Amino acid sequence: MMAQVLAAVIFVAMFLLIVSDKIERHIVTLVCGLLTLVLVFGVAMQSMPAVIETLNVKSIFTLQFWYAAGSAEESTSGINWATIIFILGMMIMVEGMAKAGFFRWLCMKLAKAVNYKPIPLFVTFMIMSAILAMFIDSITVILFLAAVTVELAKLLKIDPVPMILSEIFCANLGGSATMCGDPPNIIIGTSLGYSFGDFLTNTGLMAGVSLILIIVYFYLVYRKELISENAMTVDASTMPDPKEAITDKKEFIISSIIFACAVVMLVTHAQTGLTVAFIGAVVAIVTLLTAGKYAVELLKKVDYKTVLFFIGLFVVVGGLEQTGILEIIAGFIGKVSGGNTILMLAIIIWVSAIASAFVDNIPFAATMIPVIKSLAMTQGVDLETLAWTLSMGTDIGGSATPIGASANVVGTSVAAKNGYIIGWGKYCKTAAPATIIVVAVSMVIIFVRYC
Amino acid sequence: MGKQVIISIGREFGSGGHEIGEKLAERLGFKFYDRKMLDELAETKNISIEYLEKYDEKPKRWFGSRTVGAHTNSMEEIVAEMQFEYIQEKADSGESFVIVGRCSEAVLKGHEGLISIFILGNRQEKLERVKERYQLGDQEALAKMKRHDYKRKQYHNRHADGKWGDSRTYDLCINSSHLGVEKTVDILQKYVEERM
Repeated sequence: MMAQVLAAVIFVAMFLLIVSDKIERHIVTLVCGLLTLVLVFGVAMQSMPAVIETLNVKSIFTLQFWYAAGSAEESTSGINWATIIFILGMMIMVEGMAKAGFFRWLCMKLAKAVNYKPIPLFVTFMIMSAILAMFIDSITVILFLAAVTVELAKLLKIDPVPMILSEIFCANLGGSATMCGDPPNIIIGTSLGYSFGDFLTNTGLMAGVSLILIIVYFYLVYRKELISENAMTVDASTMPDPKEAITDKKEFIISSIIFACAVVMLVTHAQTGLTVAFIGAVVAIVTLLTAGKYAVELLKKVDYKTVLFFIGLFVVVGGLEQTGILEIIAGFIGKVSGGNTILMLAIIIWVSAIASAFVDNIPFAATMIPVIKSLAMTQGVDLETLAWTLSMGTDIGGSATPIGASANVVGTSVAAKNGYIIGWGKYCKTAAPATIIVVAVSMVIIFVRYC
Repeated sequence: MGKQVIISIGREFGSGGHEIGEKLAERLGFKFYDRKMLDELAETKNISIEYLEKYDEKPKRWFGSRTVGAHTNSMEEIVAEMQFEYIQEKADSGESFVIVGRCSEAVLKGHEGLISIFILGNRQEKLERVKERYQLGDQEALAKMKRHDYKRKQYHNRHADGKWGDSRTYDLCINSSHLGVEKTVDILQKYVEERM
């Protein structure tokens, strides 16, 4: 009982501190993780096995961690090292691509391809945002896309805000389509043993249908601005040349090949048996080896704070798991829904979406995974269905407000620094209804397909 | 152009720090930067001045914004960063100036020509000044003073390493209540001229 209370208090304190944004979030999770190890496992439970199981270091040294024949990957509790290694590997690869000018080149190339016309540009950037976010983190996607959008908007004399808001939404939507698109999906996939293909055929389908609707929605919402702006004609020769974005041709080609290989490895990993941890490690090593003297520079640019944030977070969630609190929550959800699967799924998708709109969706998803595991065991609901429901709820819910997801923060920050202020009202006016539409559509697809 | 001098003035609300800074700038023939730098920022960034003023020298609210790496969507933080950049640009341009608030002593820390000053005051004198200036009663004036000082402190300590009002943060701290505005300016002018 004491262990449960301590674990819950530490968890709630961690969440409040993350939301308040006063202390950097990796410090919050690391200190709370340390408190979990000392107070919950040490003082209250006096259980060394709980510490060992939560730290989960042993799993890294198993063959299954790197190569898993069949689709089953890691499914232990505690620190999810597969997620951490994968994210770290992708960060290094993305740094290499950014340094070579890949993202800026891609944005400029596509803008040129549509002759810098606002409506085609608007639609193309939305689709590009969604597709890129399927494979790389949404922060990087939006960082480059928003910067180029502002630059182009200034040259084209249009308001970049409608474009930035729709790009942010599509980055979050694209991230929900694959296992590696959004951190909650990576955690769900590695914890429950689902593959890239599993996500693509389930959450990917929902994201694809939603993307079509969302393009229409944003077009209707912003058509007035876009149509009036569309009347402007631009001399393409006065616009920046995409080639100028490439800082080093050799590096550009190498980073593009590494990215293509990473995509192929991810898409086929269920067939090849290579785990995401393996893929992450390989892309990182190859990027560093080919970077030569810039390898140290790339390593320095990696966001280690996010990696530390994950480690601390997994320990705190491990505390909740070991003390059985998450089973109590699962039991409560089961009781409220009265064994009705449809009601249970509706509760999970909407609660996840609403929570993710206001708090970081990563800790929320990490906490909910053991809950849905327990629900599947005790209530007999299909675990896969619960996983896709949780994934869509957490990934899409984050789009509703400016603080819901990292891409929203980066996009609104880039816009504000360039003089385009996007407050809560402006943001939520279009993003909140879009979020509701996508969550509702996903829920209907889940009901029709799985119930 | 002579040696560059940048005078950074931190101040308690009601201490007359702003007026002292303005007079000091006038006597030394320096430019004076205060809240009005927002006008220039509003023009260059094409943002409404009311919007910038709303978030000027304010601490970040506890809810409603988030930080991701080096990016934040807190308007208080964005306005602060815009001003820090502005101050840095002015300092890099080589001009001599007096600047009030905005963590300038921390932003320009290590700058060769920087002289950092903090102006405080006795509670009663500050209260009288606030009452007169804003036409307020005792309670309202006191509440206003407390509110502003609290916000300045929060804002400063979020962005700077040294603590707001801590003598170790500044080259010189002076209580303006003892000598009044004019004589405090005299003392400060002498001090600055000695350092020039």
